[in-house]
Amino acid sequence: MALKYNDFTLQELMAVAAARELKDGEKVIIGTGLPLLGAFLAQKTHAPNMVAIYESGAIDCKPLVTPFSVADSVLAPGSAMQGGLMEGLGIVHAGDLDVGFLGGAQIDRYGNLNTHVIGDYRNPQVRFAGSGGSNDIGAGCKRTIVMMLHQKQRFPEKVDFLTTPGYLRGGKEREKMGFLGGGPSVVVSTLGILRFHPQTKEMYLASYHPGVTIEQIKDNTGWDLIVAGDVKETERPDPELIRILREELDPTGVFLKKK
Amino acid sequence: MKVSKVMTAKEAVAKFIADGMTVGVGGFFHAISYAITHEIIRQQKRRLTICQPSFNEHADQMIGAGCVDRIVSSYVWMEVFGPLHCFRRAMEKGIPHKIEMEDYTNFAVMARYLAGSLGIPFIPIQSMKGSDMMKYSSWMGEGKAKLIRDPFDPKKEYVAVPALTPDLGYFHVQRADEEGNCQMWGIWGDSPWSMRACKQVIVSCEEIVGRDVIGRDPNRTILPGYKVIAVVPAPFGAHPKHTQGYYDVDRDFIFQYIRESRSPEGWKKFMDEWVYGVEDREGYLKKYINTYGMKKFLNLKAKDISSSSVNYGF
Repeated sequence: MALKYNDFTLQELMAVAAARELKDGEKVIIGTGLPLLGAFLAQKTHAPNMVAIYESGAIDCKPLVTPFSVADSVLAPGSAMQGGLMEGLGIVHAGDLDVGFLGGAQIDRYGNLNTHVIGDYRNPQVRFAGSGGSNDIGAGCKRTIVMMLHQKQRFPEKVDFLTTPGYLRGGKEREKMGFLGGGPSVVVSTLGILRFHPQTKEMYLASYHPGVTIEQIKDNTGWDLIVAGDVKETERPDPELIRILREELDPTGVFLKKK
Repeated sequence: MKVSKVMTAKEAVAKFIADGMTVGVGGFFHAISYAITHEIIRQQKRRLTICQPSFNEHADQMIGAGCVDRIVSSYVWMEVFGPLHCFRRAMEKGIPHKIEMEDYTNFAVMARYLAGSLGIPFIPIQSMKGSDMMKYSSWMGEGKAKLIRDPFDPKKEYVAVPALTPDLGYFHVQRADEEGNCQMWGIWGDSPWSMRACKQVIVSCEEIVGRDVIGRDPNRTILPGYKVIAVVPAPFGAHPKHTQGYYDVDRDFIFQYIRESRSPEGWKKFMDEWVYGVEDREGYLKKYINTYGMKKFLNLKAKDISSSSVNYGF
């Protein structure tokens, strides 16, 4: 039986990597898709006291069924508190939360995110959704976990539009702005795991996913990406975590494509 | 003796929504009033400024129908379901016409509503600082947001955003009485702040209940009746969105809209069928059951997960 969980998909690897970033007892604002699976996987394993929060105002939710949307109908029943956006994002703005998940169309070398446009803001080639709660989460959460599709155009030297500040132009620039939140701590991409240098705040490659080369990651990054001296392969997921993901969290394959 | 405010969506929209108004739309993915939205489209309202922290297909449909000139929001998209094509066509190509948007964050729009609801002119927030949302504005120019120094601690800077007080708001709730006392549970969305900030409010509801029902659980009232000018009975009035305790979100229908609206022709066909081609919500409901069958309709019905009641005794 165990054998069938020895293999894993890229999505599963990323969900497990996201779960590893969370500590027990943390207050986490969750999105949908892989962040959601990562957070609930953490809650089911090493972080049973994690407080799951949605911007729709569900606080400490214990959904019976994995929610599909940030405002899913399964969120309210069982939650410790159900309010609205003011309750969900007000506590983010107040600096109460430990971790937030972010994503975007583009991220640059200092972790700044763009979810607005590709091209000129006033005459966009492609218009995306906008900030939503992204900028609020980036400003207020103690740290953020960014999940990204790793392609050259999505990892440019400079984002086309700065929706959510990461470390701005690096160094102490973010600190000077006086945000309550500390900025991104990790980028879980489709090719590897990237972190930020403690002083320069520049993104560096910490690990590459199984089957991916460092060269490939550098080729898919729009600047000369720094590689950590101790760079290694991303830790492979424990088969038990894969079982929980497939059988308990996403049995119908809503988020994880069936192989 | 209080006068009943109960009327049809058609009457409410004709009577209270004028071209050029600034309209606050209530809800957050949950409990969006499609009953009122579709009536606005059918009555071909024009030059509206629509406001909501996060917009979904209801905005897309109003944009496609040419009702909207300006948007105050942080988000126009349908989450994991995908992009909204009318919004993108308008922003990228000016189809059916160019629209303007003031880009805020979700919380910033809430903060603007909070200031509006309290009668204060602006509110300082942490969000937006250092972002390009501070660099770019549309018709509001410098009045969109300003970096200000904390008067009590001059070392600190905040983003001041102005109060938002739309001419009119509309939203959907589970139940209301004839005077417009509204009760809502599940995800409140931008309520109560959004609707409290609006000068007057149209509410659509799943059920009209007696004033005594409201009075038995007054903590559940999200908006008092004096703000409300029209009460529109609209069962299934938020479909394809969900209304907690009544019906679930109709994912297939949302996917269908996003698929069909990829081309302007596909969008027109969808709208002819589901908006222009039906008289009102009752007609919509009949058409839904005729098209997809009673079984599918009943599958959307919410399970019974009732709360225990509390003692309000004294």
